[in-house]
Amino acid sequence: MTSPGLVPLPPVPGRILDAQLHLLDRQVLDHDGVPVTTVDDLELSGPDIGAEIPQGTPAPVLDALLTGPVLGTRIFGGRPPQSRLIRIPWKDVADVGVVVRLGVGGEGLDASWVERWVRDRIIARIPGGRHDPR
Amino acid sequence: MILGDLLGIPVLDSDGGRLGKAADVRFVLDGAPHQLMSEARMLGIVVSPHSAASFLGYERTNLTQPWPLAYLLQWRHRGSFLVLWEDIALIRKDAVRLRPGFTRYSPALEDLDQGH
Repeated sequence: MTSPGLVPLPPVPGRILDAQLHLLDRQVLDHDGVPVTTVDDLELSGPDIGAEIPQGTPAPVLDALLTGPVLGTRIFGGRPPQSRLIRIPWKDVADVGVVVRLGVGGEGLDASWVERWVRDRIIARIPGGRHDPR
Repeated sequence: MILGDLLGIPVLDSDGGRLGKAADVRFVLDGAPHQLMSEARMLGIVVSPHSAASFLGYERTNLTQPWPLAYLLQWRHRGSFLVLWEDIALIRKDAVRLRPGFTRYSPALEDLDQGH
C-alpha cells in the first residue's frame, strides 16, 4: 500500500486510531449498550493555536470526546463555542470499534441531559408514560 | 485545542509552500495507561494534496471493492502522506507549518496492523 516516494511508518507500540476514520461521528454507547450520543469533535491537550512548537515538545494527547449542538454549524460552517460543547473524558472510553463504548453508565453524563429532561418532564406526564409498554 | 479547528486547514512547508490540507489526525494508544484504555497520543497529521478531508479512508487501506468507488476515492486522495508530530512547527488558525526537512511517511494503515 505504501506509495513510491513515501517512507513506511516504523512500527508503533500501540493501536492506531485515525480521528476521521475511527472516532468522529461514531455512536457512543454506555456500559449497558444504551446509546448516549455521537462523537462530534475531539479535545486535545495542546498545542496552543498560533504558538511556535519547540523541538522535542511531547505530543498532545486526546483529552475528551466532544458532543453538542453541531447541526447548524455542520450545515453553515464553523463550530459551536467551546463552552457549549459537552465533554466525555477519554478515560471513560472502554473500546473503540464500530461504535465507541464507554465504561461508565450514561445516566450521569451531561451528554444525555436532553434525553433525561424529555423523559422526566414530558414523557413521564403522558398517562402510561412512567412504565414499560406492555 | 479542538480537533475540528485543525481538520481541513492548509499544511505548508517551512518556506510557506502549500502541501495540501490536514485530512485527518492519527493517534496511537501508547500513552499512560488508564483504567480502561491507554492515553491516545497524537502521532501526526494525514495531509491530502487534492482534498480537504478524507472519505472512507480508501487511500489508507488495500480495499479495492467496490472498484469504481475504490478507484475514484484513491484517485481523489492520491499523494496523501503522513507527517509526524515531531515535524510540525506551528499550528495557526488558518494553517499548519512544518519543520524544514520533514519526512513524508506512508499513511497506510494495513502495514501497521501488527501493532494491535
